[in-house]
Amino acid sequence: MNIRPSDTPRDACPVHWPRAIILLDMNAFFAAIEQRDNPAWRGRPLAITNGAQGTCVITCSYEARAWGVKTGMRLREARRLCPELIQCPARPYRYAAVSTAIMQALTAITPDVEVFSVDEAFLDVTRCQRLHGTPVRMARRAQRLVHETSGLLCSVGVSGDKTTAKYAAKLDKPNGFTVIPPWEARDRLRDVPVTELCGVNRGIGRFLAEHGVHTCGDMARLPISVLARRFGNPGRRIWYMAQGADPEKLQLGVAAPKSVGHGKVVPPGTRDCQTLLVYLEHMAEKVAARLRRHRLQASHFFIGLRLPAGWLGDKPRTSLPTDDSAQIMALCRHFLSTVWRGEPVAQIQVTALNPRPANTQLDLFQYADERRQRVNAAQDAVNERYGEFTLAPARLLNRSSMPNVISPAWKPSGHRKTV
Amino acid sequence: MKFSIQRESILKPLQTITGVVERRQTLPVLSNLLLSVGNEGLSMTTTDLEVEMVARVSLEGAEAGDITLPARKLVDICKALPEGAQIDIVYDEEKERATIKSGRSRFNLTTLPVSEFPNIEEVKGVFEFEVPQKVLKQLIDKTAFAMAQQDVRYYLNGLLLEVDSGMIRTVATDGHRLAVCEHEANVSPGEKIQVILPRKGVMELARLLSEGDEPVKVMVGNNHLSVVLEEYSFTSKLIDGKFPDYQRVIPRDSDKDVTADHELLRQALVRTSILSNEKYRGIRLRLQDGLIQAQANNPEMEEAEEEIEVQYTGPRLEIGFNVSYLLEALNVIDTPNVKLALGDANSSCVMRPEGQSACTYVIMPMRL
Repeated sequence: MNIRPSDTPRDACPVHWPRAIILLDMNAFFAAIEQRDNPAWRGRPLAITNGAQGTCVITCSYEARAWGVKTGMRLREARRLCPELIQCPARPYRYAAVSTAIMQALTAITPDVEVFSVDEAFLDVTRCQRLHGTPVRMARRAQRLVHETSGLLCSVGVSGDKTTAKYAAKLDKPNGFTVIPPWEARDRLRDVPVTELCGVNRGIGRFLAEHGVHTCGDMARLPISVLARRFGNPGRRIWYMAQGADPEKLQLGVAAPKSVGHGKVVPPGTRDCQTLLVYLEHMAEKVAARLRRHRLQASHFFIGLRLPAGWLGDKPRTSLPTDDSAQIMALCRHFLSTVWRGEPVAQIQVTALNPRPANTQLDLFQYADERRQRVNAAQDAVNERYGEFTLAPARLLNRSSMPNVISPAWKPSGHRKTV
Repeated sequence: MKFSIQRESILKPLQTITGVVERRQTLPVLSNLLLSVGNEGLSMTTTDLEVEMVARVSLEGAEAGDITLPARKLVDICKALPEGAQIDIVYDEEKERATIKSGRSRFNLTTLPVSEFPNIEEVKGVFEFEVPQKVLKQLIDKTAFAMAQQDVRYYLNGLLLEVDSGMIRTVATDGHRLAVCEHEANVSPGEKIQVILPRKGVMELARLLSEGDEPVKVMVGNNHLSVVLEEYSFTSKLIDGKFPDYQRVIPRDSDKDVTADHELLRQALVRTSILSNEKYRGIRLRLQDGLIQAQANNPEMEEAEEEIEVQYTGPRLEIGFNVSYLLEALNVIDTPNVKLALGDANSSCVMRPEGQSACTYVIMPMRL
């Protein structure tokens, strides 16, 4: 049942929902921003790629989708389907800024906003019903707010739990508005294939099919313990999800990081040690600067090279927790000279494992190098003001020109605010 | 080889020495133990190439010979046999298999050639001394908890054993806290040694020693340390490294001396620790006249507060610690009162059992 923006009886009826969750899903977010910023592109098929060299379609406008262009498609194939396709290099910083502004605007409705990804947000409006009116009314207001803030369209799903709200938003795109009241959720999901639900991947789908569960309605016949035995608590959650009663709360705030890492694809088949050192130093600098920005340190690192046969990695330790790229680089150099045997490399990764708050536990025998700390602080101040790598080790003059990519796990605050 | 033995006579020595055997092996023979029957009876040896343990049991009417048998399987079989069972072990040289018989039970075990079983070299460049078993056990038990685990500073992953000025001393530290314990020893005052025993050897040695008064012989070589008891011998490789100058980090100028009831303090800290951050275990102590306030909170914003009456007069101090480090030191202190000496919020805390100078614990603070 789709309700178009207008006053319908459901809007007027002041029924208190026991739980009310709104999902906003931006429509073709990156492409829509480019079309808004660039009027000549409006109404035309547009594909976003990673830089001008990118060959993979990150996302595309609805006009391009009409030609059959899809996310993840090779640009060459997309051009075959849609010869007039316009290629546009991604501007991750711009998208992050627009997303931040939208997320900020949504807090006018409720403080309980979960930034699910760069272009999706959950709002828990259960406790705002007396203040702002019905959940449906608040959802309309949220959709309007997004448009006023950014000039962009989004699809909205309103229900009593996260999974049903997300499913509802998917039903009508673009600029859709779908309400599934919590008391109707179970019935509305009855004939929906379980794999349509967010979080039920093919593996879980196969397991459920083996147990005779194809649609959400089949789930009630399967004892919850079968799922719990196989998948633990996430399994129990899936059982509830299929019945329109996903118990999951909104993830407010950003959980403490379990790791802080950066990786990059290197020119195919790289065997040159100097080239690898440049890439590793590039990543070590990024990891160290990000640790410092969030006042974290780590004493355990992962350094990896992707070879034709798979990842070649090591997990070296430093004696004291560090946020200094020179120390991380020393581990990288040692790794290259002892573990790597000159195999061709396709990709590299540097990750700080188990980062913890900086300078907490003092050591009996060793002191942090205060001079290095001051140098790093000065470098951070310069780069904060004039841009990443304005001040950097000389070796990075040769660094890859491939632009930074916005991660799917991006968040507007905390350690995930990175591009 | 052939011998016959009572279940109870073999089970305890077997269990004592099989801790050395690692569960996963690259060298198959390391999961076996060496059984040798000779004139002096039965001797059983286990090793992981770093630590070697030997147990000796007397036998009557045995046929001499050497074999190696899967260690854990042999322990499990002996353990599972009924109490008081008579166990017969026979080696069939042709089939290279050993048979264990007891009552109506029969087990055939594979063997590996004795020549493959690694022998830790004899302890050379020996310095020897004798010390009552319980003294050595106490020295280890009161310090070993502070050893590092998998630290890059490999020399911290063990226990320092020091003989100096007629004293025997053990020292352990992971860089965050330090434990020192000493005891008079029957050595000439001029003798000086300093060796680092690796973590695993320390653990196995502590398990081997008991609270008895009988003396054990300690032999220290250039690369090895041996401890010989009546029925057991223990040999471990030493860590080749320089232990940090621990004397330098024991503060002598702390100006805030506190005396606290040991059990009262320990229990209050145990309760407070429940609501400290599970990962970092931070706890805030506020010292004032006659009182320590302990406070902890976790990421869920839950909070614990305790007040502990202490003997103290002087300026106030607020200082943070990893509560586990405080508790682990308190757990090995056995006097009714404990003395704390503090400086400022960035200086270490010294903890000592009241009325004893044998043990000293130093704990570095946390910035909270």
